[in-house]
Amino acid sequence: MITKTSPDVGGMGHSLKRKEDLRFIQGRGNYVDDVHLPGMVYGQLVRSPYAHARLKSINADKAKKLPGVLAVITGEDLAKANLAWMPTLFFDKQMVLATGKVLFQSQEVAFVVAEDRYTAADAAELVEVEYEELPVLVDPHKSLDPGAPILREDREQKDNHIFHWEVGDRQATDKVIQNAAVTAKVHAFFQRCHPAPLETCGCVADFNSGTGRLTVYLTSQAPHAHRTLFAIVGGIPENNIRVISPDIGGGFGNKVPIYPGYVCAVVASLTLGRPVKWIETRSENLQSTGFARDYHMTAELAASGDGKIQGLRVKTLADHGAFNAAAQPTKFPAGLFSICTGAYDYPTAFCEVDGVYTNKAPGGIAYRCSFRVTEAAYLIERAVDVLAQELKIDPAELRRKNFISPAKFPYKSPLGWSYDSGDYDGAMKLALEKIGYAELRKEQAEKRTKGELMGIGISSFVEIVGAGPSHTFDIAGIKMFDSCEIRIHPTGKGICRMGTKSQGQGHETTYAQIVAQELGIPAADITVEEGDTDTAPYGLGTYASRSTPVSGAATAMAARKIREKAKKIAAHLLECSEGDLEWETGRFFVKGAPSKSKTIQEIAFAAYTNHPQGLEAGLEAVDYYDPPNLTFPFGTYICVVDIDKGTGEVKVRRFVAVDDCGNVINPMIVDGQIHGGLTEGLAIAFMQEIAYDENGNVQGGSFQDYLLPTAVETPHWETDKTCTPSPHHPLGAKGVGESPNVGSPAAFVNAVVDALAHLGVKHIDMPIAPWKVWTILKEKGVVS
Amino acid sequence: MALRIEKTVQVSGPIEKVWAFLNDPRKVATCVPGAKITEQVGEKIYKGTVSVKVGPAVSEYSGELQILRIDPENYEIELLGKGQDVRGRGSASMKMTGKLRVVDSGITEMTSTSEVNLVGIVAQMGARVITEVSNIMFGQFTKNLQARLQQPEGALDAPGAEVKPVKATSVAWEAGKRLFRRES
Repeated sequence: MITKTSPDVGGMGHSLKRKEDLRFIQGRGNYVDDVHLPGMVYGQLVRSPYAHARLKSINADKAKKLPGVLAVITGEDLAKANLAWMPTLFFDKQMVLATGKVLFQSQEVAFVVAEDRYTAADAAELVEVEYEELPVLVDPHKSLDPGAPILREDREQKDNHIFHWEVGDRQATDKVIQNAAVTAKVHAFFQRCHPAPLETCGCVADFNSGTGRLTVYLTSQAPHAHRTLFAIVGGIPENNIRVISPDIGGGFGNKVPIYPGYVCAVVASLTLGRPVKWIETRSENLQSTGFARDYHMTAELAASGDGKIQGLRVKTLADHGAFNAAAQPTKFPAGLFSICTGAYDYPTAFCEVDGVYTNKAPGGIAYRCSFRVTEAAYLIERAVDVLAQELKIDPAELRRKNFISPAKFPYKSPLGWSYDSGDYDGAMKLALEKIGYAELRKEQAEKRTKGELMGIGISSFVEIVGAGPSHTFDIAGIKMFDSCEIRIHPTGKGICRMGTKSQGQGHETTYAQIVAQELGIPAADITVEEGDTDTAPYGLGTYASRSTPVSGAATAMAARKIREKAKKIAAHLLECSEGDLEWETGRFFVKGAPSKSKTIQEIAFAAYTNHPQGLEAGLEAVDYYDPPNLTFPFGTYICVVDIDKGTGEVKVRRFVAVDDCGNVINPMIVDGQIHGGLTEGLAIAFMQEIAYDENGNVQGGSFQDYLLPTAVETPHWETDKTCTPSPHHPLGAKGVGESPNVGSPAAFVNAVVDALAHLGVKHIDMPIAPWKVWTILKEKGVVS
Repeated sequence: MALRIEKTVQVSGPIEKVWAFLNDPRKVATCVPGAKITEQVGEKIYKGTVSVKVGPAVSEYSGELQILRIDPENYEIELLGKGQDVRGRGSASMKMTGKLRVVDSGITEMTSTSEVNLVGIVAQMGARVITEVSNIMFGQFTKNLQARLQQPEGALDAPGAEVKPVKATSVAWEAGKRLFRRES
């Protein structure tokens, strides 16, 4: 149980207004593009129009002659410094600037530096590049065909296969499926989508030849990891690199990788001795930086005649584009996709994934999810609905029949995870009640007799977040612990520095609330600072919903170290032994004499003015938290849709989201996270795809074609929660930022399929645009 | 991006006169917005350029035009054009079949089917924009062709006035008008 502090202290469970919002709503944020340094110049990338072409020549003469142009850097120039290629975060390498050939449309070919942005852009237009077109590979299903063009001539392996990964018991699963009374199969393509953060990627690289130090202001979700990679790749001593991530306008995984533009800006600054700014345009962001998903998945469920699930078999083809630039933990080429067995209790499963190259932008990043968890949740929740259709059982009933019961936790899943805690039926029951499920089913039956189309979609997802325990998790070798350093000042106020980096999650508020909870110092008195590698303790950054599970835990542990020391000081001040002291929020008192007490503020003052002999002065602590396990948030989402037969348009009438993320730090921030993630999920389900035509031209490369949801499309979200604390997290918290994006796509799609189920429809691939629905209605003879 | 564009228009002029004009790429080019024939390099092969401006993307394609088939009896011609943007921003190819038919005395119907394949920045604009651009280009082409056919016999051989490339503003304007007219 978490003791609730007073509103003045504002510990866990208080909906404190976000400290950071004042500067954001006043336009006083400080983003990378707000950085202006004396003598700063601007970079612009020249990009390939071709998806696959031999690079025959680059002529920069005209560009160099334009007044104000300082340099044009090409792949050949970088090759001389051994920088034409750089390692990706997953055992592959990628071109910084193209040499030899280009492998996707919008690939980086040259970097122009000029005195101002406009000159740089004009000069980039003047760079003449001669290409010879090569056959283009767009369909990943054709990547492994014998006649397929070999994309990566740089590799020893002369095919387009990147990896095969499998987990589970293949033979046992095959047998279960073969012998099952009922099976359900679904081919589900999770389309290539893009996080499209409001702020695109960019940097200012500032090499000071006087100090020998390189400062990089960077749109980075992981500043420390990026510093280390700059040191390793660039050969610059790590103490001479300072990465600063100022305010970041959304990341969602898009700001985890290192992009060629960053490297070019650094090279240009080292060469010119001037600060170099490079900021992407929106189209550059959509067309070249880390995309998400692009998983072609097949799931088969086996069940008994009465609807007990017996096994799951999953086969997936993963399109990684031109380079494997997925940001995944080292041991997991398909991320944590093996969470695909979901919230259900069955002993047998097998999952295999093959990754291939195509002529598309590189990536496979975790868009608001812990590495392929969204794909997994979508797949199992779709498959369960198809099974319900095969069995003619209500999808809610089928789920409830198969949920892992609360008594079975910690639950060992058939693919090897140990789920920490859960009460899946509790969340389901609340969601069913809230939406009025029974009445909705009646209404649907009546509407069907009148020929009206209405559907109800359920998703009972389980997430796996908070990577992760160092015995299993690292990225590029760096273990996935995270950190917090707390310094309490003499006047009882303090500062918290973190290894994570907020991109809008509200860290400045939530971490302060954790300190408030643990030490009783008002959250208002705690400053939270992140993103400066010179001051913050080392950490792996913010993604994979890991801030609360890992750094949040580190904050609690660091605060507890401070409390231990405070106890020694309090005993000294109160002239008693430590054993005689008891803690309540914000003060130590003598057992049996509550009036004899010292507040944490008094203790802090004494730590600098009257500390006991034999004890170090000061009141500081640092903690590097290595989580013992991951956390497993869950929930049930229910969506109700109505379909306009005339236009095929789907209208979301209601959406109930019941989340369980364990103990909550700030309920308002959790609600905000849920609202944001559901809105993104809505966009993925109905609006967004980075599609390519047969020549490899990007067809979703601007906001003209890659649509963002606005208030017009977004329904009213109804949120609620249950609370099943994590047994191993110091605060019982689980992390929530990604749940809505992970859980909602299946709810939307299940609702649309449910509306059309009586017509024999079993699956529709996202994005479910009106034309897709209308085409189905036409095929099924519903409209003429 | 592959597009198939089919167009049918009627022009006033006897079929022989229209045919005489259409089977000469040098003459046809004088009616295509932004197009120029620079050189004849073979009996049926020409070199030339086409300039198209869509929004911020100006593409200037330089390449070859080849007459694949010419059938005077049926008034049919098949052309293949291929070009690369001069600054390396993409490429375009077009295979066009044109056919003439007498509708009435002095009225000739021209039907064309074009298979267009685009690679590069322009192709990112999507089929909606490209189709609109081609609509405008074809509209201007028809107007120019009509005007050229009205000129006295000898004038047909004179080089045409320079025809300006299509601009993005007109694309948006035409698309807007179309929307309100509810035309496809």
